[in-house]
Amino acid sequence: MQIDVHNLSFSYGHRTVIDSLSLSLSSGDYLVIRGKNGTGKSTFIKCLLGMNPVKNGMIFYDHQDINYFKEWTCLGYVSQKFEDFNYEFPITVNEFLSVSSLRKTSQSNRLKALDQMGILELLNQNINNLSGGELQRTFIARSMLNDPKLLILDEPTASIDKLSTEYFFKAVNQLNLQGVTIILVTHNESLGHLNYSHVLTMFSDGTNTFQTRDRCDLSEVDF
Amino acid sequence: MVLSFFTDLFQQDFMLRALLAGLILGVLAPVIGSIVVIRRLSFIADTLGHFSLVGISVSLFLSTLGISIFFERPLYLGILFSVVGGLLVELFRRSYKNYKEISMVIVISIGAALSAIFFSLSKKTGSLYNYLFGSILTITNYYVILILITAVIVFALFIIFGKQIVAVSFEESNAKMLGVNVGLFQFLFMIMLSIVVSVLLESVGVLLISSMMIIPVAAAMKVGWSYKSTTIIAIVFSELSVFFGLWMAYSFTIPSGAAIVSINVILLMAISFIKKIRSRKLVKKEPITNESAE
Ligand SMILES: Nc1ncnc2c1ncn2[C@@H]1O[C@H](COP(=O)(O)OP(=O)(O)O)[C@@H](O)[C@H]1O
Ligand SMILES: [Mg+2]
Repeated sequence: MQIDVHNLSFSYGHRTVIDSLSLSLSSGDYLVIRGKNGTGKSTFIKCLLGMNPVKNGMIFYDHQDINYFKEWTCLGYVSQKFEDFNYEFPITVNEFLSVSSLRKTSQSNRLKALDQMGILELLNQNINNLSGGELQRTFIARSMLNDPKLLILDEPTASIDKLSTEYFFKAVNQLNLQGVTIILVTHNESLGHLNYSHVLTMFSDGTNTFQTRDRCDLSEVDF
Repeated sequence: MVLSFFTDLFQQDFMLRALLAGLILGVLAPVIGSIVVIRRLSFIADTLGHFSLVGISVSLFLSTLGISIFFERPLYLGILFSVVGGLLVELFRRSYKNYKEISMVIVISIGAALSAIFFSLSKKTGSLYNYLFGSILTITNYYVILILITAVIVFALFIIFGKQIVAVSFEESNAKMLGVNVGLFQFLFMIMLSIVVSVLLESVGVLLISSMMIIPVAAAMKVGWSYKSTTIIAIVFSELSVFFGLWMAYSFTIPSGAAIVSINVILLMAISFIKKIRSRKLVKKEPITNESAE
């Protein structure tokens, strides 16, 4: 999926969180967004998802203005916080995955997604009983289920252990190699383990820098 | 007296009608109720019920003026007002973003005040008791058919859109990625809820609508292990309550809605109690080991 952002600015009330952000990504690109807490990374993601209305500046998906964009089902999204999710009512991981995909995904498709995240044994567990990390992995598995063309991940590995994080980044790389565009948010300083092609750095005064990186040379990570 | 319930059940038409209506509502209420619970809207059923009551009182008032609307069936104006109540909730919600329940209190108050005014203007305060506490034993054929149609429509919607309804209820923010228009979904759900609430109002009364929808679900949530099992258990609880509630209402001549809800509450308390005892036993048998702390 081709993504173009032109001079995007966003503020909550009088507080400008994003100040004229521009970037351009082609299909198969891998963008890392980094910056300290509170620099507007999630705010930008919500603009990309159409949850924050875009008034100043423009966003295009495949040359189509976001305000007229319809094919949202091509996107996969893992949110940083799961506060929107209503946990208390019982629902199993399997049920959750099957209502979360529009197509009739076969059981084997769901099993594969869970296996990729190393949580196959959670299939028939009630979501209420999962730990934070298990829950996050379930959501990640869900985001991969619909074969998205663009995968947006907002600090997806914040609460999961090192081994699952490794699993996860491997799976992301795999998807990226298959042509899926990736946008990954991290507040981690080290990006050495990520095979990204672009990096957007956000600062607390709302400014930002956008850089392209030669992917063949993994050693050159410019900070 | 106690046994005459079972003989009368098959000899008296009104008993059969009441049971039939009750059993259909017994499925309908928890099915809708579970979505209401998941969406954290438990108060909205009450809110819509109070506004439905305004519609009914206005309808009665108009008929004393000689104006007949909707063929003298107050229910339909009730549904219409219920939808209006839902829209008002949305409207007030926008101005109290972080205190959403305030909007429901405002709308409930308006509803209660207006219906009291119109009931007294219509000089039919006698029927008010029935609307407050329900009168399933005096239900007419017309009404039973209406309940059946409502149930068929709701179940059809659940069969066709069940996936989307469940997914969006659990997590609205992801609706877009599932190809669901959240605004449209909320609107349609409110209309569906308005109809169900208005239908429930005539049979169990405005004060007990939300009990009928929410309590069986609340009890089932304590024992269910999946979405499916929880919904099925809620329906079973609800049907048990309807059946034994009707028996109680008939045998001891108490209001049917109250009897049904009382059984619901007894079930809920019994479940909570049993669960507490069992979890205590489990803790005793299996002292916590360090195994899982790895
Ligand atoms: N809904 C909101 N209303 C007002 N301010 C917000 C809202 N969401 C985030 N903010 C503020 O905007 C700034 C950027 O937040 P966020 O985008 O979540 O940062 P990050 O994801 O980089 O940690 C923070 O100062 C935060 O307090
Ligand atoms: Mg964030």
